Amino acid sequence: MRSSVALWLRVAFSRAMIRVLATYGDPLWIVVNVGGPLLTSIALAFLYKFAGIPQFTGFAILGGGIAAYWGNVLWSMAAQLNWDKRSGMLYLYISSPAPLTALLVGMSLGGILGTLPSSLTVLIIGTLLFNPPFSPPTLALALIFMLTLLALYGMGIALSSLYLILGREAEEVNEALYEPVSFLSGIYFPSIGRASPLPLAIQAVASLIPLTIGMDALRRAVFFSEGVGELWPSLLTLAVMAQASIILGLKALNYVERRGRVTGDILVALR
Amino acid sequence: MANVEVESLTRVFETRSRRVLALDNVNLEVEKGEVFGLLGPNGAGKTTLIRILTTLLLPTSGRAVVGGFDVVKEAKKVRGIIGFSSSSERVGFDFVTARRNLWFFSQLYGVPKSEADRRIEELASLLEFQDQLDRKLYMLTTGYKQRLNLARALINDPTVVFFDEPTNGMDVFSAKKVRELFVREARVNSRTVFLATHNMFEAEEICDRVAIIDRGRILAVDTPENLKLTLDKPVVMLETDVAGASVGDPRTLDGVVGGTVKLDSESETANIRVILRDEDYLDKVVTLLERRGVKVLGYQRLEPTLEDVFISKVGAGFAERERSLEV
Repeated sequence: MRSSVALWLRVAFSRAMIRVLATYGDPLWIVVNVGGPLLTSIALAFLYKFAGIPQFTGFAILGGGIAAYWGNVLWSMAAQLNWDKRSGMLYLYISSPAPLTALLVGMSLGGILGTLPSSLTVLIIGTLLFNPPFSPPTLALALIFMLTLLALYGMGIALSSLYLILGREAEEVNEALYEPVSFLSGIYFPSIGRASPLPLAIQAVASLIPLTIGMDALRRAVFFSEGVGELWPSLLTLAVMAQASIILGLKALNYVERRGRVTGDILVALR
Repeated sequence: MANVEVESLTRVFETRSRRVLALDNVNLEVEKGEVFGLLGPNGAGKTTLIRILTTLLLPTSGRAVVGGFDVVKEAKKVRGIIGFSSSSERVGFDFVTARRNLWFFSQLYGVPKSEADRRIEELASLLEFQDQLDRKLYMLTTGYKQRLNLARALINDPTVVFFDEPTNGMDVFSAKKVRELFVREARVNSRTVFLATHNMFEAEEICDRVAIIDRGRILAVDTPENLKLTLDKPVVMLETDVAGASVGDPRTLDGVVGGTVKLDSESETANIRVILRDEDYLDKVVTLLERRGVKVLGYQRLEPTLEDVFISKVGAGFAERERSLEV
């Protein structure tokens, strides 16, 4: 028992470490990861400012900080096992005693740590340029931020199993998901609630995405100083979503592994 | 003591439209400290067998045991004592150093850090890439990446190590080093080295025993010398000018047990390697070829190779067998 726990921790730690090292070892990746969300944030912040709704500039800056994570979840979590399969790395993982759950959790932790500087860069530059009215950090903000990331990366784990089955189409699904989910979840504007310009039916659909709940709660904590007392329904929803997606993802992964050993084409790209 | 035991192993791949028998009632035993070669053309079933033995695939029927553990019922235990490397998988993470990559793979097996550090240095020294250890992977040449790949397969000090076409695309010098490493690992560290290859030279040079496999069936298992001794028929190489003519299947020539044709389309010549029923058929084969418009420029009797053993069993060479699978 102790040795399995030790192995699990070693695998998760080493995968996180490698993810961080690989992220910082590729300067181009950092440019892309910071540059994309930063430029979008700045463009939208200018738009809000000149449209006469300067209070929304903060939404755009905050959205840029979180968009880096959303990109990381899709491209470096959900699609990762599929890429590993195509490059043969998944074979190496499966033929070792390393638990896949540890690899995925390590990948998530590494992704969170690796994306943190990109996210902070967007927030710092955006704040310096537009000086949006942020409230001081609170416990509610920390909780929401953690639960949002947990739910997001849980979604990444669930998608990674699905993408293993999809094969090459995974990248197209990612492309297809990125913009609509970014839009629906209201990364740069309130997509749910009273300030949302979207019809109720679309708001209902958008609320199924953990990022929507997380963004809405983050905005309320950062710009309207709401605390745990007001935000508990969002915190609870995020906690349930995180737990459900992680459990679903890990179960799906176990299924995919078992099924892959039967069919022969899920875990390795047949040449 | 057998480290790999395979009993009546069969694997079938089924799709809606096709049913492929990838392994057909395979039986094998590989000893501790043995370099064992699985020799056959592409598509013969070598990779499928290795995937089953490394727990990636389930057999359709039959049983396989690695290091005393059943690959189906005790897959986790098998994974802890094996190493695996093939020329087709990625070596590691491009923007991470060779040392960190090896450390990462050691962690997949729970190797303690001090032990991992020691093994990394030892393997880098054995494979002569110590000076590359602190360079990022993308900076390494293909030859060094391949050496790193082999080091990765040995990082957990495995009891049984599987190599799938390990020297594919490797330069001659690196391939020689790698073959020396395989023999050393078997002799000095008593590992079982299980090698899938279609490289006859490699199989002959380093394998203690070789199993010849074709279309999922093991045709023969023995030492390379004994396998060649079983071939008591003459092997002849005919050099021919095939301009405007077709050699066709050598088996259609009277007196030919089997053969393989290597065409050189630029010079319009072909080397036809045939196994004759006996020496007396040689003149007849030359006459038959000339009747087909193929001019025989010369011929010589050859010492048999492992491919000749293969040809004697199935009638065709590796190239013909691979082409027939493409159709």
